[in-house]
Amino acid sequence: MKALISLRRLPDAWASFILVFALSGLLFTPYPSREQAFRDRALEGPSWAHPLGIDGLGRDFFSRLWEGSGHTVALAVIALLITLGVAALLVSIERIFPNSIGRFVRMGVGLWVAFPVIFIGLLLLVFLNPSPFTLVLAVGFGNLAFAFRQLRVFWMATRNALYVQSSEVLGSRGWALFRWAIWPNLVPDIFALARLLFAMSALELSGLAFLGLIGDPDFAELGAILKQNQPYLYQAPALAILPGAILSLILLSVHLSRFHR
Amino acid sequence: MSDAVQEPAQAVKQSRARLLLVEIRRFVLIFLAASFFLFLALESMPEDPVSLRVKNPDPERIAEIRDSLGLNDPWLTRYVRGVGDFLTLDWGESLISGRPVAGEVARYLPATLELAVLGILFGVSFGLALVLSAHATGWTWLLQPVRGMGALGLTVPIFWIGILFVLVFSVQLGWLPVGGRFDFAYEAPRITGFLLLDSLLVWDLHAFWIACRHLVLPVLTLGLYPAAVVAGTLEARLGESFLERLVTALKSRGFSPARVWGRHVLRLVSGPVVTVIGTQAGALLGGAVLTETVYSWPGMGRFLVDGVLNRDLFVIQHGLLLVVVLALCIVTVSDLIATRLDHQLQNREDS
Repeated sequence: MKALISLRRLPDAWASFILVFALSGLLFTPYPSREQAFRDRALEGPSWAHPLGIDGLGRDFFSRLWEGSGHTVALAVIALLITLGVAALLVSIERIFPNSIGRFVRMGVGLWVAFPVIFIGLLLLVFLNPSPFTLVLAVGFGNLAFAFRQLRVFWMATRNALYVQSSEVLGSRGWALFRWAIWPNLVPDIFALARLLFAMSALELSGLAFLGLIGDPDFAELGAILKQNQPYLYQAPALAILPGAILSLILLSVHLSRFHR
Repeated sequence: MSDAVQEPAQAVKQSRARLLLVEIRRFVLIFLAASFFLFLALESMPEDPVSLRVKNPDPERIAEIRDSLGLNDPWLTRYVRGVGDFLTLDWGESLISGRPVAGEVARYLPATLELAVLGILFGVSFGLALVLSAHATGWTWLLQPVRGMGALGLTVPIFWIGILFVLVFSVQLGWLPVGGRFDFAYEAPRITGFLLLDSLLVWDLHAFWIACRHLVLPVLTLGLYPAAVVAGTLEARLGESFLERLVTALKSRGFSPARVWGRHVLRLVSGPVVTVIGTQAGALLGGAVLTETVYSWPGMGRFLVDGVLNRDLFVIQHGLLLVVVLALCIVTVSDLIATRLDHQLQNREDS
């Protein structure tokens, strides 16, 4: 039985390992990811010293991919936190003042949902310089309407549930009601939403970086790395295939995980 | 016709008119909000787009150009004029190329529309065909890819799929072109800007063939996401018990599978499918921009991105607003179609 339980947790362990491994690329890589230290060996295939070879500008490709994975995960997590934080704030405001400000918030979200994320990204780039920070803001605010609607539905379903109303009848109020009756039942839904938002954010971020909107061409991010290596598709296809494969692996691992399910 | 029959028909007409009014009001509100956001963004630009374009910036010359473009007028005048210019297609000239923005958009937009429309059509037909044929024939193994496709949209980047297609079908097999919209060695027919249509209009079948070959990979790439969404929605809808009962009833009356699934079930499930396509309009436009970049497709995507990065004032102002209007049109039309389909469903159930 214990063995079965531990098997059920295998996807969680795998997803955690992948995420931690990707993020560790921000702290350590075998070679500096920006330094073009091996220009004379550009597009050289794998070797013991460089397991994934050298890219077209003479950089160790393994180091760039590792750091790139870390950047993609970290930026997607920041975008996800912005989305969830602002959406939770808006849901709270909408619930506290349902008639006055709430109506305004609902109308605003109704309008916001029609704006494509790419429009929001390009709009931000009009007055902010292209940078990872700009892309994070674009994605964070781009997914806001979706997150708000989902959170609102989760909140209303949990708030109106029979066990919450029973707690209220038994005298539970305010923070105590939230902490002991609502929050524990809201957590699984919030985790499921976070998983979805993480995938959406990572894909949108990499897409915007692929379009060249990340600014610094040397910044290691999986979408940007893929774009940079697209011209070498004939000579060294692995340089263009691997960044996408790693992004898919990360997202698939998170998608299959069972955190709080 | 008796009053009893007239009244529900009148009520349906009134509710449709009310819905149309709601959709129009939403369209106008979002258009005004988008144009105002854009106006604010252009006002907050860190650099003056005019001084960026003038060689040897001389304050007098810059002020002269700004005056001629009306950039020194009060903000409300500029905002109202900007909206008016957009509606009358008076979109000014690009600060980079000096060419009229409306003309440039007219050059790039057909390429994007051709790609997007064919991508959606392919995606929707593929998704529908897969799910309906799996249910109609009882080949449940066909549903496995449908379940896999649901995860595809959330785990695989569209630009990566595009690159894989290029690698396999263009680089390795050499079956299809790597990118672009037409062969450089052959002159493309130009009437409407839609190459497939133009080559048929002048009856140049070789040009039609070339255009088709260039479209295959971008359409496949762009269509995968709508296919996944449509297949997922359809599969969920077909699991509903009333549909299962309906299929059993129709089969027991001796209807052929084609009639049961292709006529009756398809009509009932098409409402949610159309709604889903509408709500995914933004993602589809984003996908079109990415697909254009992968295949060097000469469409609106690159034109807009370059316009924003170069701070090309009128390209940003009118080009971006056009993207929102396009997305809004898809949402509005899909909402109206879906509601119409649902009314039919309701009427049939009532009767």
